Amino acid sequence: MGTVSPCGHPGRLRPLLIPAHGFVFEVNQSADNEEGGNRLAMSDFRHALQRRDAVSAAKEVIYHLDMYFGSQMQSTSMPMVEKKPIELLEEFVFQVPKDRGSYPKRLGALQELQLLDILCSYFQEQSKEPARQIMFSALFSPQGNKTDDQRMALLGKLTSMAVAVCQVHVLECAASWLQRSPAVYCVRLAKAVVDDYCGLVPGSIQTLKQIFNVSPRFCCQFITAVAALYNMSTEELLPPHELLETIVSWIFEDPRLILITFLNTPISANLPIGFLDFSPLMGLVRWCVIAPLAYRRKHKAAGVGQVVESQSLYSKLHLSVLQGLMVLQTHLTEKSLYGRLGLLLFEQLVPLVEELGQLCQELNPLNAEQEMEVALDRLAQALQVSMATGALLCTRDDLRTLCARLPHNNLMQLVVSGPVQPPPPPTHPTLTPSFYPHIHTPPLGYPTIPAHAPLPAHPAIPAHPALPAHQALPGHPVQTFIPGMTFPYRPMR
Amino acid sequence: MIATQPQGASPQISPQELSRQIKSFLSGSDPQLGHKLSPREHARCSLLLLRCLPSARHAVLEHLRSVFHDSVSSFLNERDSQDTHPASSSSSQRRAPPAPTIPGLDEVTQEVQKVLEEFIKLNPRAWAPLISAWSIELMGQLSSKHACRQGMPHSASLNELLQLWMSCGATRVLMDIYTHCLSTMIGSCPDACVDALLDTSVQHSPHFDWVVAHIGNSFPSTIISRVLSCGLKDFCAHSSPAEAPDKRVPKLGSVVGILGHLSSRHGSSIRQEILRMFHESLRPGSKQQRATLPYLLQLAALSPSLLGAVCQDLVDSLKPATLAQLQQHCSTLPREELENMLNLSVHLACQTSAGAPRLLRFLLDTAMPASVITTPGLAVHDSVREACDRIVRLLLLRLQKQVYGRPGGRGASDAQPRAVPFLDAMRSHLPELCAEMLRLERKRHLWLHQLLGLLCVYSSPSCAPEALCILLTMAQNSEELGLAVQLHAVLSSSMQGLAQAAVTRCVAQVHAGALTDKQAFQLLQNLALIVQSEEGGMGRETGIALSEYLSDIGQLLLHSDPGVCEAACLLLCCCALPSSLPPSQLNLLIRSSCHLLFHFMHLRSSAGVSSCSRLLLRLCRVSPIGRKSVLHELVEGSLHEGNAGLFGGYSSTTVGNKLEGAAASLLESNSHLGSTVDFSGSVWSVFHAGVIGSGLKPEEQSRQSGQQEIAENTQSLISLLCGCCAKKGEEGGLPESLDPEAVKTLAVTLTESACPDVTNSELAWPPEEHARTTVQRDLVIYKCFSRNPLLFQLLHLIAQGRPALCYCSVLLRGLLATLLAHWEASRESSVVGSPWHLQASSDLVSCMGEGQLLPPALTNMHEMFSLLAPYEVRLLLLSVWDFVKENGPFPQRFTFQKGAFSRDFTREGDPAKYMGIVYSVLHRNIHRLGLLSGRFQL
Repeated sequence: MGTVSPCGHPGRLRPLLIPAHGFVFEVNQSADNEEGGNRLAMSDFRHALQRRDAVSAAKEVIYHLDMYFGSQMQSTSMPMVEKKPIELLEEFVFQVPKDRGSYPKRLGALQELQLLDILCSYFQEQSKEPARQIMFSALFSPQGNKTDDQRMALLGKLTSMAVAVCQVHVLECAASWLQRSPAVYCVRLAKAVVDDYCGLVPGSIQTLKQIFNVSPRFCCQFITAVAALYNMSTEELLPPHELLETIVSWIFEDPRLILITFLNTPISANLPIGFLDFSPLMGLVRWCVIAPLAYRRKHKAAGVGQVVESQSLYSKLHLSVLQGLMVLQTHLTEKSLYGRLGLLLFEQLVPLVEELGQLCQELNPLNAEQEMEVALDRLAQALQVSMATGALLCTRDDLRTLCARLPHNNLMQLVVSGPVQPPPPPTHPTLTPSFYPHIHTPPLGYPTIPAHAPLPAHPAIPAHPALPAHQALPGHPVQTFIPGMTFPYRPMR
Repeated sequence: MIATQPQGASPQISPQELSRQIKSFLSGSDPQLGHKLSPREHARCSLLLLRCLPSARHAVLEHLRSVFHDSVSSFLNERDSQDTHPASSSSSQRRAPPAPTIPGLDEVTQEVQKVLEEFIKLNPRAWAPLISAWSIELMGQLSSKHACRQGMPHSASLNELLQLWMSCGATRVLMDIYTHCLSTMIGSCPDACVDALLDTSVQHSPHFDWVVAHIGNSFPSTIISRVLSCGLKDFCAHSSPAEAPDKRVPKLGSVVGILGHLSSRHGSSIRQEILRMFHESLRPGSKQQRATLPYLLQLAALSPSLLGAVCQDLVDSLKPATLAQLQQHCSTLPREELENMLNLSVHLACQTSAGAPRLLRFLLDTAMPASVITTPGLAVHDSVREACDRIVRLLLLRLQKQVYGRPGGRGASDAQPRAVPFLDAMRSHLPELCAEMLRLERKRHLWLHQLLGLLCVYSSPSCAPEALCILLTMAQNSEELGLAVQLHAVLSSSMQGLAQAAVTRCVAQVHAGALTDKQAFQLLQNLALIVQSEEGGMGRETGIALSEYLSDIGQLLLHSDPGVCEAACLLLCCCALPSSLPPSQLNLLIRSSCHLLFHFMHLRSSAGVSSCSRLLLRLCRVSPIGRKSVLHELVEGSLHEGNAGLFGGYSSTTVGNKLEGAAASLLESNSHLGSTVDFSGSVWSVFHAGVIGSGLKPEEQSRQSGQQEIAENTQSLISLLCGCCAKKGEEGGLPESLDPEAVKTLAVTLTESACPDVTNSELAWPPEEHARTTVQRDLVIYKCFSRNPLLFQLLHLIAQGRPALCYCSVLLRGLLATLLAHWEASRESSVVGSPWHLQASSDLVSCMGEGQLLPPALTNMHEMFSLLAPYEVRLLLLSVWDFVKENGPFPQRFTFQKGAFSRDFTREGDPAKYMGIVYSVLHRNIHRLGLLSGRFQL
């Protein structure tokens, strides 16, 4: 069938063309004055590749780039992906013609599957994490040109395939990719995966479910992206039931899942605009709060079976989110960041509350008191717990003005008005009893953005932290994290 | 090795197993054992991937594509080998052995079908568009790929093709899959599936038609409405003005193709659907609705069959309320678009064929100015009317362009002239068109006139004569007739011999019996009117043309309807009669018109008589033969038994009665042949009281007309005869103007008809005693005179044309002989007892005197007849006999003097010796006749 043996190892591949004087990019990069000769070598290489069929050319390119990146990594600790390799990949993997006049050749579906197989094999067999990362990044980082569509399509398929065959390396790379790519692209990837596994083939959701055990980091990022995708703003943007169930089952199994990215990321800078959050927390809170009303809006007549089922899933999710917040408090306290670093931002809360208010108004004539009550209760609980756990840093005055326009709710009233506070946990030596971050503004000495260099990365999560929440819910066994899943270093671009 | 997975939920296989499967799928061989996968195993492997690896679905479908390709190829190979094997072994030996068929492929395809249909069932929204597009495209590829294969039915023979493909397992499976997709999605949104169908149809058009036909027949309503709406969507998407118009043709073309297929069986649903779209588009709405109208027009422009299907119903549905809506709708459109639509609709109107008459009626009705009669509720809005007016004018303009702008001229063009369906369709409605035009409604008849002109030019050469013929037949007054003349004027420049052709057609119509009497009458009258009133142009041409059909028109003189006869007569009167008219025709005309003349006299139609007389006069001036013939006919006719009554005569009906009885049984009379005596022709027939065996002769029944009519008829006939006998160039009835030759003809004819027996008919008179040898002939002559008083008038006329009376000598002699016998036998004291004989005697003598057979002195004796006794009359008449016997009535005795013949009795011996008896009778009755004595002086 294929001309290239799909099970071939990149290392074992005998390239037909190896320049005698070494690899072209090396020379190219090292000295600019030799450009003429290098151009020649480069074009020779391209011509040689052009003569081959698409799949084997792609394979060749990947092989050479792997060697090239490997050599670069030996010379510099943090190699940058330059333009030339990306262009090569665009030409020979994504089939974008570089010469004028030539028509874009499209890979057939079978060839594409071969290519995916080659990529999978490559990532599986490349043992060095940085090499994988740099290759992934060279392949799939959005370049803002018209190749991005092909890039995203291939990435979607590769990820989907990796999910099916449990390719840890690809999934991990994808997780990193999700972290450092603009949210619009992340949403597209999430959509591709959701499309493939939710409903297309009966029962395929089970395949997705098992990923939890393979790459929790990918799961966490995936949830973040999915929450951004299905933001419940319209009726179409409600998460598919199967997906919801999967996500709830993941988080319910271990609420710490939602914190993995946050904990494994150096708190280097504030969140850049247009990227995904560090954690799906905000998105999930939004889901829990908006869901009762959004489903009510979709099914004007309440009482549809699946709605009830979904709602129970949402309350389960809500519980898990609250538990996750509790876990967060432990971590913040351990890192002495309690009260200094908020995971839920006040600015993100504002649109949520506004939307809730609008929905309430919209659904008012529909006798949706029950659903409104649930939504407001959940919001109040989330606010209360997040303030208490230090995930949300704001004053009650701010909250009061924010929530003033919401319909009346007893619980919300309590939360907003305060001040009956449980005594601060004595385990926090950094906080004096007289200091209530929930009530007062944070002291000026603790800016949310530390002025100095990035904080050191979080150490591995302790195997089994004693959590009060878990003690409260003994029925749910606590899932331990696999230590090997930590990501010690993430190259930032 | 590869376990068949149970249906239903996705099989849970380990990731390692899955990646092994991927490798084996890609390489086509078993990774563990290394052997090559059979097609069946390979297909199973692909189905497994389809279930477990969603991202591989496109690759799997592509692989399955090759499976189907193989399956179809093997099917066709098998079919070919089956075809060739039984035919002849030698040919199959020469042929390359057919490619080995791959077993089990059918099972694989069915398995694929099962799996795919299951997917579609479980998640139609996701799978149906994908699978339907896949299956339909694959079918397209297969059809195109094998279209040129030997032994394949031609793509035009849809049924054969359909049969072949449906007998192939693989394509049937594909078809089933597609229909499954469609039927699953039919409730929600089949657009995606139908879109795929359209796209593929565009790509693989002729070979793919069987698919469309099959699917269309399975889901007619859906396919029709969806195909239309998909086309509309596509049209909307491409209808931005910047884009070139030809770019949108493919999809529309395929819409048209598909609908064209379905129109044969589901024409009514297509029609309904299009009408529904049309009416919906009139409601205020979105852009899509705004584009519906141009879209539908465009569709109709591309497909004549659609246009035909829709046009009629559409026109019916355009009620005033709808029109108002349409007007409102159109008023919102930009001017340019409106112009385009207008042009397109005019174009479509030109292309309409079946509904053309209806469409035209609708347009004209709508464009007509409102009148008082119109029902207020049904009146259309003024702006609608104006728009329609405009459309009509544009339509006429475009038709004109197409008609006159056709390449080449008539005859010279080698390229087929462009057809204009509208005109083609109107061609058969020519009579209605003409009738409507003749109603002379405002504006309307002008439009129709224009259209008629175009139609005539378009479908020359047959149409124009037909139209003219119809107009001539239908026109009731001069205003209407004017339209025909105008039409001729318009067309004559572009057509030669139009009037000729029209006349030919008219004549043919009349003779074919296609016209009622009334129409024929009208036609002939109109023709006559045109010939008379139009000096130049049409009238002249028509006259010339008519002269070729004289005999045909002449036949109409014998028509059963007197009106027609009279009209034909009038028409013949105004036609030019060529002198070279063949005798046969001339005779025919003469006979017919003579017949007609008497017929009119019977009918007491003086107008008919006069027109007939005119015609006969014209005819007799054509040639000498003509004159002879006319005179002959007239005389014969006037003496004919049936006509005798017209002139105061009697007609014997005995013959009729006898015939009536005899005709009862020919068999009977035959059986009596030997036993009865046949008296006919023997001496028995002389007995005038009756025939023995049949009783007394019935009383002769007079069928006499009134005195006035008799006088009138006689007058007309005599003056006509006078006219006929007149010298050339002289009209009046004066004796000098009579042509002796003509009168001679008259005399001879008269003699022949009054006395058919020609023996003993020399001009010279024998002695009186010899008269007994000719008793029978004389009796016939006598009877003839007694029955036809007209004879005396005729004799008078002949007498005036000297010396013609000589030729009537036989008649005169016969009559005189019978009169002599009568007076001899008479024992009455006064001649007054037998008035007829008295009258006859005096008429005879005066006539002979006038004809100068007797000298004037002798002639005058008739003045005293009434005062004498019978024997005295006999004596006088005997002296007349003696004179004529001595001085034979020969033409050579006459001399030509002063322009006329006359006889000089002074050179013929002494007349005094014949006057003796006259004088003695005079003397005997001197007391009564003294007054007259002066009359007998020599």
